[in-house]
Amino acid sequence: MDKLRNYVKELLESGEITGFLGLIDDGGHPIPHLFTKEHIDRLNDLVVPDFRYPMTDILLKIVRKYPESTIGVMVRGCDDRALIELAKNQKIMSDLIRPVGVACSKEMAESCRCSQPYPREIHYGEKVEGVQDRSDLEEVESMDLSGRLDYWMGQFSKCIKCYGCRNICSMCFCDQCTLEDETLVMTGQTPPEIPIFHLIRAFHMAGRCIDCGLCEEACPAHIPLRSLYRKVREDMANYLGYVTGKDEYEKDPLEFLGSEGYEVPSKIDET
Amino acid sequence: MSDVKESFEPKIIAFCCNWCSYAGADLAGSMRLKYPPNVLPIRVMCSGRISPHFILKAFQKGADGVLVTGCHYGDCHYIKGNYITKRRVTIMKDLLKFIGIDSRRLKADWVAGSEGDKWARVATEFTEEIRALGPSPLRG
Ligand code: SF4
Ligand code: SF4
Ligand code: FES
Repeated sequence: MDKLRNYVKELLESGEITGFLGLIDDGGHPIPHLFTKEHIDRLNDLVVPDFRYPMTDILLKIVRKYPESTIGVMVRGCDDRALIELAKNQKIMSDLIRPVGVACSKEMAESCRCSQPYPREIHYGEKVEGVQDRSDLEEVESMDLSGRLDYWMGQFSKCIKCYGCRNICSMCFCDQCTLEDETLVMTGQTPPEIPIFHLIRAFHMAGRCIDCGLCEEACPAHIPLRSLYRKVREDMANYLGYVTGKDEYEKDPLEFLGSEGYEVPSKIDET
Repeated sequence: MSDVKESFEPKIIAFCCNWCSYAGADLAGSMRLKYPPNVLPIRVMCSGRISPHFILKAFQKGADGVLVTGCHYGDCHYIKGNYITKRRVTIMKDLLKFIGIDSRRLKADWVAGSEGDKWARVATEFTEEIRALGPSPLRG
């Protein structure tokens, strides 16, 4: 931990970064904090808790306020994938962001079912292998069509339309949200119109979702949202060879055709 | 059961791009080719304008099938709209299947402005396929 503190301290004192977004312990509750050179002692309170916080969401707010500054940020594997997508979508400039990487423990990786529980560069913790687990998808796939629909409609009908899934999502950065567009989804009712409410979000997450699982953790109705997004994530990989959160310079094939010409991969035509 | 299916008239939304498939549908009309009245064409400028949300909305409002049509590859008047369309429809079909809606209820096809006969054929075949599948489980 001291090594991490010293590393951040050096970054701040050398002026390499103007601020560092990390977490501090506030009476047993880790909360986000922007560390600066002026209050360097605050670094003694820097913590790396055993759970996640939507760091990039806070980062976006900081970047909007201080667009010219170089900001350091504590990132886990999922946050780092989010950074890649945010840069790709021109929400941040990579040159102005300094990720300080934390590798997740085996326990965390397992409880998150995380396929890549480490960032590109690790400054804290030991790298452990990712978990490859699609049992949640297999469970749905084992049902027949009408069983699946019953299952999902039952799940969706629990929705209280709190928008928690959207609000916590690091990939939900649109200025206007389709979920609030009354020409598409009826407003003023709970549960919202289903399945469209959840399917709009699901489709939108194709090429977006970095599979952090925060939405499912946040959902007060315990809807297995992550499986929906994992499904489209898997489809993007299988049909279009595209993995979200991997490479900043690889474009989302649902938005860009790329420079290789306009062929539709032959795999697609089979479906 | 078979009685129900025989009396079932599917509701089908067909999104057509202004330049090719809508012209094809129009031509089918001028040629007096028959295609089922179940198919309701909605004209948009390009198949790439067909937001996946429109497809979802059609199903939400009780469409039994959705047909997404545009120009043939290479003919899109905005160059690449139909390639994007094909990708979107592929992912959407799989998502529908995953939540329990038969993916055959969504189909993408290409019809040129000169292909009135193809339009009539595609519309007829799709209607028959949907008729065989029965009403959408989302129909209220
Ligand atoms: S897992 Fe949920 S919160 Fe995380 S990126 Fe995907 S949709 Fe957003
Ligand atoms: S977090 Fe859960 S309850 Fe809230 S809007 Fe999303 S799906 Fe509905
Ligand atoms: S103009 Fe017809 S598909 Fe784009």
